[in-house]
Amino acid sequence: MNNYIILSVFVALFLVFVALGFGSSRFRRGDMSDLGEWALAGRKLGGYLAWFLVGADLYTAYTFIAIPELVYEKGAVYFYAVPYVGMTFGIAMITMPRLWRMAKGKNYVTAIDMVQDKFNSKSLAILLAFTGIVAELPYIALQIYGMQAVLTVMIGHLTATDANIVTEIALIVSFIILAAFTFTSGLRGATITAVMKDAIIFASVIVIIIVVPIRIGGFGVAFTDAKTLATGTSTLAGLFLNGFISLTIMSALALYLYPHAINGVLSTNSTKRLRMSTALLPIYGIGLALLALFGILIYAVPSALGDVAKYGPVTVVPSLIYAEFPDWFVGFAFLGIFIGGLVPASIMAISQANLLTRNVVKIAKPNITAKTEARLSKWFSVMFKFIALAFIFAISATYSLELQLVGGIIILQTLPAIFIGMYTKRLNKYAVGVGWAAGMITGVYMILDANFFIAHLPSLQTTFFKFATPFSFIYIGLIALLVNLLFAIVGSLIMGGTKEAAVKTAKA
Amino acid sequence: MSSDGSDTDWNYKAKGTAGQKVVVAILLIFPMLIFGITPLYNVDKPTLLGLPFFYWFETVWLVVSAVFYVIAALMLNRMEGGDSE
Repeated sequence: MNNYIILSVFVALFLVFVALGFGSSRFRRGDMSDLGEWALAGRKLGGYLAWFLVGADLYTAYTFIAIPELVYEKGAVYFYAVPYVGMTFGIAMITMPRLWRMAKGKNYVTAIDMVQDKFNSKSLAILLAFTGIVAELPYIALQIYGMQAVLTVMIGHLTATDANIVTEIALIVSFIILAAFTFTSGLRGATITAVMKDAIIFASVIVIIIVVPIRIGGFGVAFTDAKTLATGTSTLAGLFLNGFISLTIMSALALYLYPHAINGVLSTNSTKRLRMSTALLPIYGIGLALLALFGILIYAVPSALGDVAKYGPVTVVPSLIYAEFPDWFVGFAFLGIFIGGLVPASIMAISQANLLTRNVVKIAKPNITAKTEARLSKWFSVMFKFIALAFIFAISATYSLELQLVGGIIILQTLPAIFIGMYTKRLNKYAVGVGWAAGMITGVYMILDANFFIAHLPSLQTTFFKFATPFSFIYIGLIALLVNLLFAIVGSLIMGGTKEAAVKTAKA
Repeated sequence: MSSDGSDTDWNYKAKGTAGQKVVVAILLIFPMLIFGITPLYNVDKPTLLGLPFFYWFETVWLVVSAVFYVIAALMLNRMEGGDSE
């Protein structure tokens, strides 16, 4: 291998990426000092770009790094990502056009804007805004883990001695560049670079999934070499069925509660285009399924297993690519994975910034001008990127996926207010608040219990709760959501619904 | 963007006959239901290209789901009326 060719291809393509990021502020030009222009690309995205943008939320380090890592380490239960993706877009087809319609007339930028009007409660809005902001943090941290994994393999082969420090510097430099172009181009930058990222990823995944099985003599060989994985190899072992089903359904419910997903939805230009692009998104999931299978394929490639032993299971996909392909292709695919973490991190930080500006600052200071609003969001998005970066230098998680699953438990607690609140006036704002608190306490307690109180693990390793059979391995998110719903619904029945803020729509 | 105002109505109700609504509901719910009933596909045979049934079925079902969803989207878009896009 010539590692300098890999590095050159990687850097050259990264420069193209940066140029696109800065240049995209001219795309369907709008007044960037307006929040709707900066954060929602002026709500002008048609079907194709919306498809790429929402797809960008899906094709992240979650797909390239976290899922393959755990399929490799633990096996079949982590293939739940595939039915999750299939299911989540069905849920989005039902809920999102309605949210879009509610948002359009009143110029909402976040789902919490809707909650604030619907429940006529500023406190609930602030509470849920912070919930969204906190839930995004581990998701962004996961992106950084993914970028780090690529750099570790690439730089590790170049220099054995200084690999760590070079990797860290490279990460920080890329984040400064990302922060700069998100600042100038907003969601347009993220959308245009998402097209580049997905083109590279699609091409790489298709090449890899055809070439590697042929070279090793078919998938069957890899499944035989994988022997017995803890949660099952060719099918789910025993009670991991519980984990699989609960992870699938809860992840499917959670995706469209995340502020970044809703941000993508609100940037489309009509309900019809939104619906059609959502309907086609399961196609994106095929790439996810193939990448998850890399976690099994790698068992038939001994030299890749050597790299994984050296650099850690988080490098399953980059190690497999490094072992099997020519230098230029390795550089090409690595860049895809790297910006596959950067672009979503940008979208997520934009959506966090919107929440903080619209649903916290604006409530405290209602008189800020549109210009100040946009300026604040831009600076907040810079701030959140660096908070996430600090987060990964500070927190240790054994498996990167568990970070995202903790984020899932947190964001699920906004489900009653957003998904149910969208349809009915019968929920009571106090009951929703109490449900939120009950769900959050249950979720956090169970995470601590499963990882530290019972097992005394050194770091975060699981989001399954260890019940007695037959309920073992249920995802904590399910239990926390049920507790939340119980309080929210029973409380609302006792106290009665909330009066909406005066809604200006004509009731003919 | 449709200009008839229904886009911004908080109390928007989908147009269309009861029959159409039932068909749309089935088109949306059926793919999700199959994904949710995991025991249906938690088996290793028959294999495809060396892949156990569990893995290839879920992948193929993504494509089937997309087809169901697209038909539902076409129906819903027609029921919504307004500008054709």
